[in-house]
Amino acid sequence: MSLFSRLLSYLGLKKKEVNILVVGLDNSGKTTILNNFKKDEDKSQEIVATIGFNVESFHVNNLTFSAFDMSGQGRYRNLWEHYFKGIHAIVFVIDSSDSLRLVVAKDELDLMLKHDEIASKPNLPLLIFANKMDLRDALSSVRISQALGLESLQERPWHIQASNAITGQGLQEGIQWLTEQLINQKK
Amino acid sequence: MDSDEQNISGLLDDQSTLDDRRTSSSLSNQVISGESKETLISKPEIASKWLTAYNDNLCSLYTLTACICFVDLNGDGDQKLVIADLGNGVQGMKLNIYKGTFILSQLTLIDCPSGVVSFYMDSNAPRIPAIGVASGSYLYIYKNLKPFYKFGLPSLEIHPSEQDAWNQLVADKIDASQLKVLLENLRIEVGEASLTARSQRLIDLTDPGVIDDFIGRYKDQPLKRSTIITCIATIKKTVDEDNNLNCLIIGTENKDILIIEPDAFTILTSVQLPSIPVFLEISGLFNVEYRVIVSCRDACIYTIKRGFKTGRLCVQLNSQPVGLVRYNNNIIVGTMDQCLSCFTINGNCVWKINQQSGITCLTAIEVEILGLTLIAVALESRTVVFYNGKSKVDTIETENVITSMKFGRYGREDNTLVMVSRSGSLSIRILKRTAKFTSIESDFGEAGSGSTMKMNIPKKTKLFIDQSVREPIHRAFQQDLYRLRLVVARAYVKAIAASLNPMSSNAVDPLKLSAQVHGLGPVFRLILEIQNTSLDQPSYNLNLFFYCDVKIYRIHRNFIPVPNLQPGYIYTFATKVECVNELNVSDFIKIHVVREGDSTPIITAIINMPSSETPV
Repeated sequence: MSLFSRLLSYLGLKKKEVNILVVGLDNSGKTTILNNFKKDEDKSQEIVATIGFNVESFHVNNLTFSAFDMSGQGRYRNLWEHYFKGIHAIVFVIDSSDSLRLVVAKDELDLMLKHDEIASKPNLPLLIFANKMDLRDALSSVRISQALGLESLQERPWHIQASNAITGQGLQEGIQWLTEQLINQKK
Repeated sequence: MDSDEQNISGLLDDQSTLDDRRTSSSLSNQVISGESKETLISKPEIASKWLTAYNDNLCSLYTLTACICFVDLNGDGDQKLVIADLGNGVQGMKLNIYKGTFILSQLTLIDCPSGVVSFYMDSNAPRIPAIGVASGSYLYIYKNLKPFYKFGLPSLEIHPSEQDAWNQLVADKIDASQLKVLLENLRIEVGEASLTARSQRLIDLTDPGVIDDFIGRYKDQPLKRSTIITCIATIKKTVDEDNNLNCLIIGTENKDILIIEPDAFTILTSVQLPSIPVFLEISGLFNVEYRVIVSCRDACIYTIKRGFKTGRLCVQLNSQPVGLVRYNNNIIVGTMDQCLSCFTINGNCVWKINQQSGITCLTAIEVEILGLTLIAVALESRTVVFYNGKSKVDTIETENVITSMKFGRYGREDNTLVMVSRSGSLSIRILKRTAKFTSIESDFGEAGSGSTMKMNIPKKTKLFIDQSVREPIHRAFQQDLYRLRLVVARAYVKAIAASLNPMSSNAVDPLKLSAQVHGLGPVFRLILEIQNTSLDQPSYNLNLFFYCDVKIYRIHRNFIPVPNLQPGYIYTFATKVECVNELNVSDFIKIHVVREGDSTPIITAIINMPSSETPV
């Protein structure tokens, strides 16, 4: 492993810093997902509703992530656009059991993708976590991608990942896809 | 209890059909999103302010605006939607509880529901509200979706003749047909509403076999007359916070409003109204100050304030109301004559807007994030129009006529509008975060022609009010002034007639006489000046006479002959006057200018003498 990492550092890939924006409706599990990436000693036991935003940093595969954990409450959603500048990826979290508000999530996603800052970077990767997959009335990730109209995104690299932020299921796969995208783009 | 079993079986049913429901709902979602895309392309108004979250055309709901409410069932902030379904009006009444886009539970109701409320009945720690369903003459309370309590309205007095008639039947003194005749006569006398439900039913029956069966079944049970709940609402008890204790307000068919405390279900206040209440709107706190706005079946709106036992008439409408909403401090009412009107709490009409078609229901849209309260008006023309005050700000086109709707927090979404159409479909719309409500300009002309235009009359100023108060004062003053002038004129005429003025306007001898008094007394010097004011006629043979009270004054020269008076010149005469009175009273002295041989003076001067000094 140490040999491999040295090799990576020679290639100029070690400790690259990337900024990602974590958005989604309130109660979708953004903070819980980020809590899972943190080291065990930093993990918080109780997740409360985020006010404004938090900045978390963690390392995955030699990438240092600075994640802007935005609050999803309606009154704070207008803050999102102020952080579109200088980000390398977007993580959009959806509560897959909240079928009622799927349409709200779609509206927010469309608004974000139409924003000048995002629209001008068509290769900015978009990772979608269909969170709370364990719940009884959760929709499948396929159905969610249909509901969000993701197939209409042509240029932008996107990936939808069913996840369970409490157990951490699906999170690594999602972030793995994101790192691959980011590393490819760095090259 | 019966309904408890129903509840459990309903839950089981739900679970078995849950998956089906879910798939079907999500499929319908797909279809709808597809449709909405098409409409987006075909219609110019792309930016609809509402997102269609859910649409179910097959749920066949029959409900009223009063029968829809949002309840925080588990106390976790995830609000559920409760819709009381009236079934077909006779049977199949159900209480549907929705979570998100599927039915969480379904409870069977025994009687037709007239209203559903969510209220906090205790102060226990996890704040879980109860659901109150007004149905028939009972109020059913559910907690945690389980029947908890049944509150019956107090029974009413039975008319003695009716009781007597039934007693006679039981004692076999009369038979069924005689009883029916007796009751029919009584109905004409006291009206249908004053009879018991049993007698009303008997009068309706015609088939003798059915009548005998009916009487056989019910005659031995005690006669009861109960009233029916027509409307229900809640009021906060003491503190204006979201999850604090509530009281229930109930309107009954017996023309009264009852305020019930839900801890022990005691009636705190009862208010008598002139008619049967239909819609209730509440503001304030029960223990502090409150106002209940009630619209009744006599097409009048009444207001009830804390401490009053009767309703006060507020507005007499021209047509029956179909919806009532309180907006700031005003009352907004939609009536059957296609009018949306706004009244102040004192009953003055603020504005009135004619709608293009009949109004089916009204609801208030409180958008907290925008600090706005809109009024949503559903019309027969399959549109829902949103008003901010009197300006139209938005419209929604719907597939069917919306007959009931409610706006509130559903699930975790604050601004959700639930609509049920006449065909029984349920539609849930969510207000976009970016929605801004500005008035629709193009509609202003239409609204202007349709609504009663208000003339631009300036307000009555304080000055105007003061003036109108002064007006009678002014009139009285004028009257007195005329009277004074009349008195003056009379005196003047009298003076002229008696030549008592110092100016002679006589054509022959135009003279002017003036007098001066010199000295302090008791001896004065009186100086008289006479001038002939004519241009060319001299005056002859004139004499000056003095007239005074001889007890007061003594005049040295009582008579002064006046020489020939040339026109224009001033002639001066003087005489001494001595005050002889010991009390020093002052009096007047009259001076007459008299022609020789004539008895009436030409002119007269009256000198008011100054009071004299005491003699040294």
